Amino acid sequence: MEEIKKRETRKIATETAARVGLMVKGLLSEARKAKEEHRPVAYTFICCSYDEIIRAMDIVPHWVENYAGICSARRDAQRFLEKAESNNFSRSLCTYALCGLGFDAQREESGGMPPNAPWGGQVRPDMMLSSGQMLCDSRVKWFQAARSYMPDVPVYEIDTPWPQYEDYCDYKDVQNYYIKYIVEQLRGLVKFLEKQTGRKMNWDRLSELVNLVDRTWNLIWETYELRRALPTPMDTGDAMNTMVPLAFMMGTQQAYDFFKDLHDELQHRIAHKTGVISDEKYRLIWGGGLPSWFALTDFNYFNSKGAVFPVETTYRMIEATYNFDIDLSKINDPLEHIAWRWVKYWTYWYDRARKRPHSQPDVERLIQYIEDYQIDGIVMHEAFSCRAWHVGLLGQLKLLKKIYRNIPSLVLESDIVDISSYNEADTRARIDAFIDTIAVIKGK
Amino acid sequence: MTIDNSTDSLTRVEQIYNDYGSRAKELKEQGTKIVGYLCAYTPLEIITAAGLIPFRIKSCTDKPDSQADNYMENIVCDHVRNCFALSLTGKYNFIDGLVIPHACDNISRTYNIWKHCPGLPYTHFLNLPHNTDRSSIEFFKAVLGSFIKSLEIFTGKPISHDALTESINLYNDNRIKIHELYELRKHNPPLLSGTHVMQTLIAGMSLPVAESTKLINNIISDIKQNKHSASPGKNGARIMIIGTEVADISLIKLVEDSGANIIIDELCPGTRENFPLTDITDDPLDGLAERYLKKINCARTFFEPEKSYQEYLEKRYSTIHQFIRDYHVNGVILYIRKYCDPFGFDVPEIRNYLHSLQIPVLYLEEDYSRSSFSRLSTKIQAFLEITSTYE
Ligand code: SF4
Ligand code: SF4
Repeated sequence: MEEIKKRETRKIATETAARVGLMVKGLLSEARKAKEEHRPVAYTFICCSYDEIIRAMDIVPHWVENYAGICSARRDAQRFLEKAESNNFSRSLCTYALCGLGFDAQREESGGMPPNAPWGGQVRPDMMLSSGQMLCDSRVKWFQAARSYMPDVPVYEIDTPWPQYEDYCDYKDVQNYYIKYIVEQLRGLVKFLEKQTGRKMNWDRLSELVNLVDRTWNLIWETYELRRALPTPMDTGDAMNTMVPLAFMMGTQQAYDFFKDLHDELQHRIAHKTGVISDEKYRLIWGGGLPSWFALTDFNYFNSKGAVFPVETTYRMIEATYNFDIDLSKINDPLEHIAWRWVKYWTYWYDRARKRPHSQPDVERLIQYIEDYQIDGIVMHEAFSCRAWHVGLLGQLKLLKKIYRNIPSLVLESDIVDISSYNEADTRARIDAFIDTIAVIKGK
Repeated sequence: MTIDNSTDSLTRVEQIYNDYGSRAKELKEQGTKIVGYLCAYTPLEIITAAGLIPFRIKSCTDKPDSQADNYMENIVCDHVRNCFALSLTGKYNFIDGLVIPHACDNISRTYNIWKHCPGLPYTHFLNLPHNTDRSSIEFFKAVLGSFIKSLEIFTGKPISHDALTESINLYNDNRIKIHELYELRKHNPPLLSGTHVMQTLIAGMSLPVAESTKLINNIISDIKQNKHSASPGKNGARIMIIGTEVADISLIKLVEDSGANIIIDELCPGTRENFPLTDITDDPLDGLAERYLKKINCARTFFEPEKSYQEYLEKRYSTIHQFIRDYHVNGVILYIRKYCDPFGFDVPEIRNYLHSLQIPVLYLEEDYSRSSFSRLSTKIQAFLEITSTYE
């Protein structure tokens, strides 16, 4: 605990992002309150495609990855990681999952929250909703593994894949069977939730929420695009906070209102030329990898060197729906609407990639952001425990340099939760060297 | 290398195993196209029906010297990394294409790297769902349809239903023979060592299916006619090995050299991938979708929870339980590669399940490398001493 007290806290540039801490506490206390009132609580995953469905069914989500991130940011995850390890889960597995499983193990063994559980702790759920897709094995396995501690808690898994990018064929040739499958998977989830809660889905309400999510996506896109301004009014350090309403509150009016406020604040800052830092010298992109939640102050360190991150690919899990090549408002079935939004999101950069020989969508996205946001260098983070987001980053970087230009790059190595993988002095020395390189190049 | 029929069957296996890929190279020189693939989830029947030869990209015990680290992160399991590193050395230069199934993150997230690095004329990503309900089967059938189309474009020839059914039969024959090979190990002492079986399976992954079947047939008849003694000839512990894909025979040999018999496995290659047969169905894709999605018992698939957790465990691990009974197993080695997420998450539950059967378990989480094997040797010895007290 001593260490926690000494920990520096990250300086936040925008007032709106500064509200996020309270919002996260609100999410956790909402789940605790729901338990007391016997309202259904579900363990849920980020980027799950079922946000509106659970909201429309009045299921209170408990976002397990978010909770692991909190333990990490509080620098109080090691005891849960060790607990999972003592139960034979390998330390090379996703440390979000290990932290969550270790926490569950302790809570179930003792019959109460582990002592001093960060921010009140993770409640026992009434159900666990997996969402593995093509994104992540850990999320297919995690709740299955959690059943060894909570054998009575039902698990439901949905598959929501998207077409892979192939050079020789257009994903539009196969998208229809993807949509059909996703709709059926979502329908299965609705049935499961109806059975668990004894309530029927209110389809009109679901349609309203689907519409609210479209509007929220568009608002977030417009808000984040404001960050193109020179100097940038908000950087990735703040976006690691604003990901909370984006990822954990989608389908709520509160999320929409949050981004409305952020949008207004950014406009105001731009009008007054108020940047994240007063002497913005270098503009960087956070080009992939989840952050080390225990070391978010590294973003301030970049700032102290005159560097800002006007854009990131991580957690920017939205596109403006009006930029899709299909009009979502014409789709009446809300589940089909969700399915199309999902597939169009994941394939958004495909058409652009086809126009540049040997390109691929994730690299195309980097190129577009580099140009739009006037980027001088790219930073990535390789978290050792998560293959889903971190395998392929080196390849992207290679390809970017080959088909676009030799932009300076820095690949940090650590983890999302396991602080033992992190060395502050080394990290900062590497940041120094990277900034020096950019300075030389820019000075030319 | 043409298969030399004058030598005994196991010597021929050894030749093919030691010179892995030589037969594919030879076929390539004769004008046949070779399609490389990773993992048990590639429907070989479809590749064969297209008139192509499927060839399993195999990893190795030690990472070869290549540029692999510049492209592929070191948090990828060493199986996939070594396969890739070997490819960059030019070992598999004879392949014309590559199929990557969505088995696990390690395999699927590296698809783009494979696509851009060795620079092959044909690559295809086969998108398997994790679920196995009716809609997943229908979806997977559509995915198989797209796979067929991609091969038809590549070869310029259509794949007929008849060709598919014929190919399914060829693979079923092969798998039935493999099953027979395993049966020889039920004897005490077994009539064939685990090392020989694994060597045969690995050799088979590099051959056209009919040649592999012939090879296995010869082994079976040689053994039945007592032509050669392949029996390990010892009454050591009867060990089952469960785990991820193995690169070669080293691990099994290590255990057998310590005095035990590997009697049965749930490995790739091994029973997991080679035992399930494909039903002959009016639409061949029905049988194939069922086989690959539902019959291969791999950790990458989501297993429906049952009413009680115990029921779930019984169902999930029923094959293992059956093997333990049928093959009179008295100890299990659970071998998991580091960074293998699907299997890694199963470790506690499978250990608990095996303990409930009162079977001793040795859990090893390692890289599949020579240096790790020297460490493992002592652990294995100690384990075998424990198992000898169990009957
Ligand atoms: S995406 Fe990565 S961090 Fe998230 S749950 Fe999966 S493995 Fe863990
Ligand atoms: S060993 Fe595990 S992680 Fe590696 S390829 Fe096989 S299933 Fe995937």
